[in-house]
Order: sequence, then structure tokens, then C-alpha cells
Amino acid sequence: MRTVHTTVNGQRVVADVPDNTLLVDFLRSQLELTGTKESCGVGVCGACSVLLDGKPVSSCLTLAVFADGCTIETIEGMADDNKLHPLQEAFIRCGGFQCGICTPGQIMMAKALLEQHPRPTRMQIKQWMMGNLCRCTGYYKIIESIESAAEGTKS
Amino acid sequence: MTAQTQPSEFVGKAVERLDGPDKVTGRARYTADVFLPGMLIGRCLRSPYASARIVSIDTSKAKRVPGVFAILTGADVAGYRYGRVCRDIPILAQGVVRFVGEKVAAVAAETAEAADTALSLIRVEYEELPFVVDVHAALRDDAHRVHDQPPKVVGARLRNPGDLKMYPPLPNVISQLTLRHGNPAEAFAQADHQFQHTFNIPSVHQGYIEPHSCLIAASDDGDVDVWMSNKAPHGARAALAEALSIPKEKITLNPVFIGGDFGGKGGLMDAPLCYHLALHARRPVKMVMNSFEELTAANPRHAASITLTTALDRNARILAMKARMIFNSGAYAGFCPVPTIHGYTAFAGPYKVPNCDLEVLRVYTNAVPAGHMRSPGGPQITFAVESHLDMIARDLQLDPCRFRRDNAIAEGDLSPIGERRQFLHCRAVIDAAIREFGWDRPKGADVGRGIALYEYPPGTFDDSNVVMSIDGAAKVDVAVGAPDTGTGFHTIVAQLTAGELQLPLNDIRVAFRDTGASPFERGPSGSRLTTTIQQAIKAAVDAIKTALTTLAAERLGAREGDVRYRPDGLIEARGKSIDLKALMAWAEAAGKAPVVRHGKNTPTGRSDVTCFAAQIAEVGVDRETGQIRVNFMVTAHDVGQVINPITHQGQIEGGLVQAFGQTVCERLHFGDDGAVISATLGDYKLPTVMDIPDLTTILLPVPTAI
Ligand code: FES
Ligand code: FES
Repeated sequence: MRTVHTTVNGQRVVADVPDNTLLVDFLRSQLELTGTKESCGVGVCGACSVLLDGKPVSSCLTLAVFADGCTIETIEGMADDNKLHPLQEAFIRCGGFQCGICTPGQIMMAKALLEQHPRPTRMQIKQWMMGNLCRCTGYYKIIESIESAAEGTKS
Repeated sequence: MTAQTQPSEFVGKAVERLDGPDKVTGRARYTADVFLPGMLIGRCLRSPYASARIVSIDTSKAKRVPGVFAILTGADVAGYRYGRVCRDIPILAQGVVRFVGEKVAAVAAETAEAADTALSLIRVEYEELPFVVDVHAALRDDAHRVHDQPPKVVGARLRNPGDLKMYPPLPNVISQLTLRHGNPAEAFAQADHQFQHTFNIPSVHQGYIEPHSCLIAASDDGDVDVWMSNKAPHGARAALAEALSIPKEKITLNPVFIGGDFGGKGGLMDAPLCYHLALHARRPVKMVMNSFEELTAANPRHAASITLTTALDRNARILAMKARMIFNSGAYAGFCPVPTIHGYTAFAGPYKVPNCDLEVLRVYTNAVPAGHMRSPGGPQITFAVESHLDMIARDLQLDPCRFRRDNAIAEGDLSPIGERRQFLHCRAVIDAAIREFGWDRPKGADVGRGIALYEYPPGTFDDSNVVMSIDGAAKVDVAVGAPDTGTGFHTIVAQLTAGELQLPLNDIRVAFRDTGASPFERGPSGSRLTTTIQQAIKAAVDAIKTALTTLAAERLGAREGDVRYRPDGLIEARGKSIDLKALMAWAEAAGKAPVVRHGKNTPTGRSDVTCFAAQIAEVGVDRETGQIRVNFMVTAHDVGQVINPITHQGQIEGGLVQAFGQTVCERLHFGDDGAVISATLGDYKLPTVMDIPDLTTILLPVPTAI
């Protein structure tokens, strides 16, 4: 058991967690932030993507204790006082989701992309997003959503 | 009925999906996101053998693990068998195991770690038995019989032509369907050319990103609360009631979002076991399959072995086709909601095949049980037919597009299985694809091209219902009986309702509440829901309008026969008029609101309207590595009225990439003992965003009434 000091979606969180607790379980079970999903559990699908100090990680492969001293961003922190983030708006506008189970991971990953490359090329989008599986959309509308958000934030 | 809207303003419009805000913010709650006080985690121990007798199970050590509340073995759930049509699935293995991955014992514990520790301490002694994995071997007289006895069979009905025998006297055969149309023997005797090819098509997994999950709480007075990833809660409730021998009124399926279905989430999967764990532990129990269990022991698409024989005349016109299609059903049949593999109904559907002879077999083997996946049998049969036609065209030195076009079905032709269909725009679809692709333009080096066609009629079978109510503020609530699995179903219901009532979309609310508070819905299946729910909505709107007419007559002091709905949205009678908001406000004050009406569809066995698709792909190959890459595709469709272009295009793109995966990179590899060896998402390769081809979609502007 260890005490972990983190900032989760802008709020300070101090919690005792067992050494072997995964970040995904810490977020979902302990903090009740179930927007982050778990699917493969082995770092392949990207459903569990969150940002740790701004960098995307698979929370199913990350121990919660590694988050000590870090900021964590999850899908629940994307909207600002009910005002959706431009990426969230773009996913709705362009139909970048269907069942929605991969969507939190896609959006977190795309957020990190746009922070690094505000106007990504299509190839940059593909290379950045290739670790996030989606079985519903065939990816076309996810690419469209990210391009649309990038255009919107620029202007 | 307000002035600012027109009847069809929302139908055909790319409106944003109603579930968008929940899904992009993480608020959407899926089964695994539900936590109940005192909830335990359920896990199972699975068989390492394809076929074995269970000699003994010792759970004594496992019981001593702290935090363990229940341990079940086959003896605790003896006597139960469940399944769809074929009731052959035990809740836990009953003395024998029939595939690698079959559930043998289960534990419910406070933590996943405690459950896993307990599982590791259960000792099972097995005695290995013979097994059979290959369908051809399973059909031999001396084959190992996967089951000694046929199970109980319920509701083995066909909606289409064919002669169906369940459990005929053939080794390991679950169902045998035979169908003859025309006079194939005579046609074969007259043929100038004959070709025969056999195609072996491997199994694939549905690949939904949300694994099968369920959470069950059983109260002391017998009420059972269920949250589960199931596309059709009303059907699941009935099946669960039967499987557990409890009245269905005692069971409630609560609303949850479904993280992808693709046909794979219509059965009960772990729910019966989860219920028994909850009952024994006297605590709610949650079971979530991990991705290893999903890939090795869920209910993937059937592997198939398909032999096709085709007779042609000297002009390369198809005279007759024969097909023997053998589907590997694995160890249990109960994951299929129908008695046979329905893909045969679209066999060679794009073509004029005047004489046809089909045999469809479902066969037990000691492999993972196969279930339903998007157009069950369709991709296997289409892959075989389209490859066969390409091989024929190559042998006869014909252009594969023109050969198909010359043999395309046209208005007035019967389908290959002898059904009458209309709106047969097959040639127009081929032409559109050829034109867009530029089939005749020169090819680059190391590039190949191919075309494939598909035909599929929308389903019009089984019941859809809505309960529609309009309140004192003229807001409309539409209660439906199934969740939106991701197809945009609820958004389409809102659009259709708004269109019929001429109300703004914002005034319509659509919800699946729970099975107690919603009307029966068969759910998405066989491309039926948009068609069947539309009929239910129309019926409900008609009933609502009749009620509004009565109210308006009373309010305006006129007879019902004098009431008119004006194009500007006002309701008028004898020179006086009122708008809907004012009418409903008056009705509420008079105690006559909300107005609640029920609408139901009129199910028919089979639609005679059908749809076609033609796809052309350009594929490049790296000669050094052998790696192929699909560079570019054109997909052309004749689908009739599109309700929502966003969700419609989403279905095309998602379906296309699934087909791409099945063709290019996905395969459930079975080992010699039938065990799935592509058991992680690293070995089972789902397409990623890097793999997808450039895509152009063409929708034919054909107004087809459905
Ligand atoms: S659940 Fe973490 S990558 Fe799949
Ligand atoms: S929207 Fe369903 S998996 Fe991506």
C-alpha cells in the first residue's frame, strides 16, 4: 500500500493504493471515473488511453503508483463546465463514434496529438492513432473528426 | 405540426446522434461501469482439453481462500441446458468437456485476485477422449460423436424456402437444409462448361471492443436485476427465464450501453452462470470476459467449407449452380438464434441462376462454439461464390466485371433460391462502380483489381413496438424495447417520429428504460430494425393523431370529421384553428394529457425488396515480402431511402472495414485440438487505422419504397 498524490482532471487526489493496482482500476473502481474503458487489458486496443503529464499511456499497463506526483487527464475532464471540447464536438458532428466504447480512448489520444501537431497531416493522424482500435466506424469518420477539430481550433 | 417544420425535414437529414453527448464525455454507462454495493467478481475455470471426461473436481483448497463467497461446479447446476433453438449448452460442463475453453467451474470473490487464486487451487482430473475438429472428418461414419443425444429443439422454423431437418441421422449434423429450384440435373446435362471449386473459409471473431459482460443481483424475494451486454433485452429476458426456470416477470434487464454487437451479443453467454453465483453468494456478481476468453471461448463466426459447381452455356451464361456448404458449429449449437445458417438465402443473389441445388449443413466439432456475426454465412458464401466466378472468368478469358454484368439478375428474374424480388438494380450498381473506379484505365506495376457483388434484402420479420406519448407541453416520448447498439437506432426513431408528427427534433425523446417499462422489441437482426420500427412509429402516430382529432374537435366545438391538419401546422375546424402546443396545454388542464398510444409493426416473413452492392478494390503487392495492401476501393450501393446519412455511411464504412479484416488480416487459428491459438489481439489482427484503403462510396439515386 502506498499513498499516491495526483491531480486528476484538475482536482488534487490523495489516495492509498495497493502496489499492484493498475491505473485503469484505480480510476474506474476507486475514483469511479468509468469513462476510461478497459477492453484487451494488454496494451493493444487503446480503449484505456489516458494522459499522464500530457502524454498518452495505456492505463491497463500502468501501475497506479506510477502516477504519484503526476497530473492525470481522463475523458471526464475534457468538457469545461458543460462546454464540450472542440474534439468532442467534432466527434459528434462528424459521427466519429458508433457504439462509443472506444471513443474516450480515441478522444484522449487525439487530444495529445493536437497538442503536439495542431494541424496534423492525414498520415500523422493515422500514425498517431494506430494504437486505438475501433470495430464500428472503420476509422474514416474518426479521421474526419480529428481533421475537423484541428481546423476549428486553428481559426 | 408546427409551422416551421415540414413532414420530411428530418428524414434524410444528417442530424447529430442523440447519444453523442453521453458517448464523447464518458457519461455513457456500459455494463462493466455499473458497480453495486457488496458486488463480487465472478471468474471461471476452463477446460484445457478438446474432449474429456471429468473424473473428479476438488474445490476444498479453493474454498479456504479469503474473500471467496461461492464456488460452483457442474453438480451445482445440473439439469439446466440453455441455448437459442437448440438447448444444448450446460451452464457448467456436465461430466464431459467438448472444447478447449469450456467452463468447468466458477468462483465469486470480493476481488479478482481472490477469484483467480481460488481458481488456481481447484483440482480437476480429466480422462481424455477422442475428438474431432475438421468438419469433413466429423461427417464420417466412424467419427467421434460430439454429443450422444440430440438436445431439445424449440422454434426451428424457416422464413425462406428449403427443406429443413434438425438432427438428421448423419454423424454430428445439427441441421441439414436442402433446396432445389428449377431442374439442375437437366441444366448440367446441357452445359458447355462446368467448373467446380472448394473454398475453406476460417472463423473470425466479431471483434467488438467491449467484451461480454453481465452483472446480476438476485433479491431474497426472487427478483432478479440484470445488466448485460445484450442487443435484445426482451429476448434475453425470456431466454434467461427459461434457462433458469423462473418466471420472466421476476427478471428485469436494465438499460446499459452496448459496446459493439455485430451479431455476437444476442445470446446469454455467462448470464445463467452469473445468476447461480449470485444466488449462492447472496451478493451481486459481475462477470466480464477477458480478451483471451473472448477470442478462445465466446461465439465467433462459423468456419465453412463450401464446394460450388457451376454449369454455363457456350455464351458463358450461368445455367445452374450446385453448392454444398458445411459450417463448423463447434461444440454447441445454442449460440445461433436460427436453425440453419441464413446466408444461403442470399446465395449468388446478384445473379440469374435459373437452376439451383443447395445443401447447407451445420456440424458439431470439438472447437469453440460458433454463433452469429453480421450477416451469418453471408461473407463465407459470398467469398466462395465471387472467387469461383473470378476463376471461371479467368479460365474462359472473360473480363470479371462484364461476365458478372452479363449474368446479373434483372427485374422479373427469380432469385437463385426461387424467390420473387423487386427493384433489382444490380446492373446499375455494377455500372456505377465500374464508372467511378475507372475499370478500363491502365494498371500500375504489381497491382491487381477485383470486383465483388452482394445482395441482401432488409428484414421485415418479428415484432417491433413503440409506446408514444405526447404531454401538455407537446413534447413526445417514444419508449422502445432495445438499446442503441451503436447503429444510430434511437436517433432514427426520433427523426422518423419528428417527421411523422411535424415536430422539431428537440421535442422528441427516445429511450429504452428497462424490460418492465418498455414494449417488446426483437432488436437489431437481419437489417430489420429501421424498417420494422418505422412501421411501429407510423402506427403509433396514426393512433396519436386520431386522439388529437378528438381533442381538437372538442376544443373547437366541431365534429371530428371537420378537423383538418393544415400544412402550416395548425389544426383547423369550421373556420377556427389552434396549434398543437395550445391544444395540448388545454388537454392537460382538462385532465386529458398525456396522450399515450401504442404502435406495432406488421411483420412479414420476407421482404421482396432487396438491395445490391458492388465493390471494386485495387490491391498492390510487394514482390519481395509478399505483403499485400488494399490501396483503393469503390463501394456502390442501391439502398433506397436513407434516413440519416451520417449513421448510414457509418454502417457502410464499418462493414467494409470488417470485411477487409476478414479478407486480409483476421483469422481465428485453430490448433490440432481445436483450441484457438490466435488468442490475443496481438495474434488476432484487427484492422487499424493504418490499414484502411482510400474509399469512395456511391449511393444510387433510386427511390425504392420499402
Ligand atoms: S485495455 Fe488497455 S490497451 Fe486495451
Ligand atoms: S465506436 Fe464502437 S468500437 Fe469504436
